[in-house]
Amino acid sequence: MAERVFSLPALPRVPSGAGRLLPSATMVFATLIAVIPVRAPGYAALTPAFSLMAAYHWTIYRPDLLPPFVLFAVGVAEDLLTGGPVGVSALLLLVARAAVLNNRRYFVNRGFAFVWAGFTILTAIGMLGLWAVHCALDMTILDFRSTLFRAVLTIAGFPVASFLVGRAQRALIGPWPIGAR
Amino acid sequence: MSTPLRATVQRTALPFLVLLSAGIIVLGKADQMVLDSVRVGVTDALAPALDVMSRPVAAVGTMIDRVHGVVSLYRENRLLSEENERLLQWQQSALKLSAENKQLRSLVKAVPEPAIRYTTARIIANSGGAYVRTVMIDAGSGDGLARGQAVISGDGLVGRLTEVGVRAARVLLITDLNSRVPVVVENSHAAAVLAGDNSDRPRLVYLGTSGEVRVGDRVVTSGEGGIFPPGVAVGVVAAIDGGVPRIEPYADLSQIGYLMAVDYGLSGGLPQPVPPVTPANRRRKGNVAEGAVR
Repeated sequence: MAERVFSLPALPRVPSGAGRLLPSATMVFATLIAVIPVRAPGYAALTPAFSLMAAYHWTIYRPDLLPPFVLFAVGVAEDLLTGGPVGVSALLLLVARAAVLNNRRYFVNRGFAFVWAGFTILTAIGMLGLWAVHCALDMTILDFRSTLFRAVLTIAGFPVASFLVGRAQRALIGPWPIGAR
Repeated sequence: MSTPLRATVQRTALPFLVLLSAGIIVLGKADQMVLDSVRVGVTDALAPALDVMSRPVAAVGTMIDRVHGVVSLYRENRLLSEENERLLQWQQSALKLSAENKQLRSLVKAVPEPAIRYTTARIIANSGGAYVRTVMIDAGSGDGLARGQAVISGDGLVGRLTEVGVRAARVLLITDLNSRVPVVVENSHAAAVLAGDNSDRPRLVYLGTSGEVRVGDRVVTSGEGGIFPPGVAVGVVAAIDGGVPRIEPYADLSQIGYLMAVDYGLSGGLPQPVPPVTPANRRRKGNVAEGAVR
């Protein structure tokens, strides 16, 4: 079972170094833009989970180019950077990868609406899990509203993020690997 | 790497890293200070990148402020003129009181107050999430900042420094779940603790009787505990929710671009991160500050 869940599909080799580094670079960029101070009331608490968007996109289209240790490193760096409990973001990204990889065959070569619906489910479960972990760590029931709004903003922002990352992917890596499942 | 070995690594990496993440969460919960030095290192290393990335956003903010300033120029000018007249009167009173204070101090041979040092810094990162309220600023120990120093904006108390690197430092905002500030309600002199809960309006807890507090009362730091000096403006009682007063901070934390770290020369700051115990420093262990106040 474990072998089927965590093994990677055979995908076409990417000749360019920039292409191979693109998924990791996207993850780093997503982590950094999430902490940029924007002078809008309440934005800091509701910042969309950009790194989750990037991790989802790459796990569906090129999981071979985004190894788990990159997700781990980016997640740990994100927690160190935001001042949150270290390990929580890494856990979210890695569990998201396991979940998406396990169901990847349903998403490849499907329309965007289907991929977006998948992301909606992933974000809903992920944000609920994140809230539960933080409640356990702080030993209190935290206000769920900001988590809910953050989930909504993350889901709403996914099409734009996916479009931009998709453009970069087509430019540096090539089109979706048709038929590769 | 041989193919079977690579396949094994590929298969086991994900579950291994999931367990490792969970382990780090537990470790961080058990001993927060262990990860503090790593945090400071990462903060310092990424500060230049964050500084560069935050500049365009800050420039847009400044531009919006300018346009807004031009639009409301006439009204603002009138308000400022009125305010200036009022402040000139206050200045006269302040000068008189200052001279009187100086005379009285010399009469009673009072110890002079230490000079206050301000360091202005720009916010280069926020906490980007629902569970932490912190900001990162582009000044560190190289600029004279130290863990525990109070951080204010032009309007009032913002928080305190919890991690200080060479180039950057982290400010724990008064709205954070872990923030506790000893305060006093100015009208009734009732002592309390301002406790953040990640909402925009922190609560007043450990208050003797809630009847002593009314909406509109000013709240300032009490100076207890030695981290903040007494009398720093914090906010105003905005509402009383089921007997618990909620404070609207004077500093609008969502609109601040620059902050001031204030060195009041107090000795009761936060302890520095404890270095790991090695045979070399075990002998000195008795001298190491223990415990953490976050």
